[in-house]
Amino acid sequence: MTLEFGARTTLGDFSYDARFEAGNEIVVLFGHSGAGKSLTLQIVAGLLRPTHGRIVISGEPVFDSGTGLNLPPQQRRLGYVVQDLALFPHMTVAENVAFGMAGADRDRRLGEVLDLMHLAPFHDRKPRSLSGGQQQRAALARALARESSLLLLDEPFSALDESLRVELRRELIRLRSELDLSVIFVTHDLREAHLVADRLAVFDAGRLLQFEGREKVFRQPANRRVAELTGVANILRGRVAAAREGELVVEAGGERLRAPAPSGWQPAEGEAIDLAIRAERVNLRRLEADDPGQPNLVRGTIREELAYGATHTLRFESAVGQPVEVEIAARPYEVLGVAGQRSWTLELPPEDLHVMPVSPEAPSSAPSASATTA
Amino acid sequence: MTALRARAPHLGLGLLIAVFALFFLLPFAGLLERGLGDGGAWDAITSDTALDALVLSLWTSALSLVIAVVAGTPVAYWLTHARFPGKGAVEALIDLPIVLPPTIAGVALLTAFGRRGLLGTPLDEWFGVTLGFSTVAVIMAQLFVGAPFYVRAARAGFASVDGQYERVAHTLGASRLRAFGRIVLPLSWPSLAAGAALCWARALGELGATLIFAGNLQGETQTMPLAILSAFERADGLTAAVALAILLLAVALVALAAFWLLSSRNGATP
Repeated sequence: MTLEFGARTTLGDFSYDARFEAGNEIVVLFGHSGAGKSLTLQIVAGLLRPTHGRIVISGEPVFDSGTGLNLPPQQRRLGYVVQDLALFPHMTVAENVAFGMAGADRDRRLGEVLDLMHLAPFHDRKPRSLSGGQQQRAALARALARESSLLLLDEPFSALDESLRVELRRELIRLRSELDLSVIFVTHDLREAHLVADRLAVFDAGRLLQFEGREKVFRQPANRRVAELTGVANILRGRVAAAREGELVVEAGGERLRAPAPSGWQPAEGEAIDLAIRAERVNLRRLEADDPGQPNLVRGTIREELAYGATHTLRFESAVGQPVEVEIAARPYEVLGVAGQRSWTLELPPEDLHVMPVSPEAPSSAPSASATTA
Repeated sequence: MTALRARAPHLGLGLLIAVFALFFLLPFAGLLERGLGDGGAWDAITSDTALDALVLSLWTSALSLVIAVVAGTPVAYWLTHARFPGKGAVEALIDLPIVLPPTIAGVALLTAFGRRGLLGTPLDEWFGVTLGFSTVAVIMAQLFVGAPFYVRAARAGFASVDGQYERVAHTLGASRLRAFGRIVLPLSWPSLAAGAALCWARALGELGATLIFAGNLQGETQTMPLAILSAFERADGLTAAVALAILLLAVALVALAAFWLLSSRNGATP
């Protein structure tokens, strides 16, 4: 299964423009509400017609503004689970699941899908008599019963409580490999995105900002906005002091920091850049352990502290002239004795620093991340 | 405290309820008392006039219901989903016959479809077709006053079905017609049934518009309400009028009961 997607449209003041390709994987569309994630699914499903674009599912074009082709939803073979599930209230679970099925061996396949989703005991129940998790399974089963290898899931677990979500995410990952599915999964939950994604597409204000492997997006966000959306707590404004082979020296505040040169673009000396480092990547060191030969050590003083139980979030006033946030697990927090000591040395390991262009129009780290339509 | 109060209403309120209930119940009691106590009632019920009128009433009202449903359902569905300027005005126009006094409806129908009406004149001159004072006119009058009740209820029913269901049905391979038949229709069924019952009841009781537009000819345009009116106008007519009224009442009750039974059995309980 492959999905080639490109679409451009405007809805009132909202302008939407995105293109990407998906294969046999879980692609997570991530972003705030109103970013265009659900819209993308509606366009793929044929429920919303973009003004321009081309959509090809497994080699078969289903929409092409160039030729005027626009297959109606009922002719696009895909499974679509909407956010509020929309289980047909007047039908039983079995009737719901069988709704999209056709063919002679329908009964056998219905039994298979119900078994697969552990719904057999609820065969004759109406949806409203099911628990939230069971309803979720029923909606998923109904979409799977289409026997399409493309599954569109719009915030499928958002209405469930945390324990159920954990279970269903695990189930989704199991189903994906068992049934060889391609899944387009919409969520605004960062942890959920990280857990289920093979590749991550970050949407903001109708634009696809970055679309790459999950680790790549989390470690090397294309720009400040992607870094903000993916929860990078520290985005420091700096200037390139020196550009060497594979490495940059960046000046931030009064400090000089070494960082790996970004892939895909070459910042010039003197150019302003953004420097991203996740709060959990910053190390704390005691002041007396300072080693003058080691790079990327910065003095800082704790100004604010939040205890989350398993972790502590510390906000430092630092020598880079901008606040630095550090996340530290409860155990090292105690071992280091952070509670009794305000002044620390912050280590920003070069390999965890990521240099981003300041201008949002600058090229990002890979060609596929480009969101603008030609 | 509130529960207790609700169970034992204030004396004044209790009196009001009792008087109000009596106001509605006494006429029925009167009808029965008069009808059963009078020996001529049975003769009136089994007379040719009564049978002709009953048969005419039943089939014309049934036919106008069928037309209202067949034509009104797509119109109501379209009105629910369409967006165009002046939609409110169109909806108001469709609702208008509901508040229009039936006699006005009769006059209006006559000016449109009567022999010298807007459409009636060319029909008469070119095809020799006359609609006024015929059984067709009876059905037209019933449709005119009854169908808006159905369309109105159907619109409310369709609007109450979340559009998401239909969209999901499409993504599951259902055509528009199948989505309508399997999703929209079952979910809006209670509204449609209520609308149909109102439409039929209104058609069955139609008097004013029929009298003006269709006339009062036994076997052709004399429906039960008209037969009751005619009987009442005769010198000794009260007995016959009462008898016919009881007959019509009984038929209407049986039909409505059957209808509700049918619709609650087939109906969706979402």
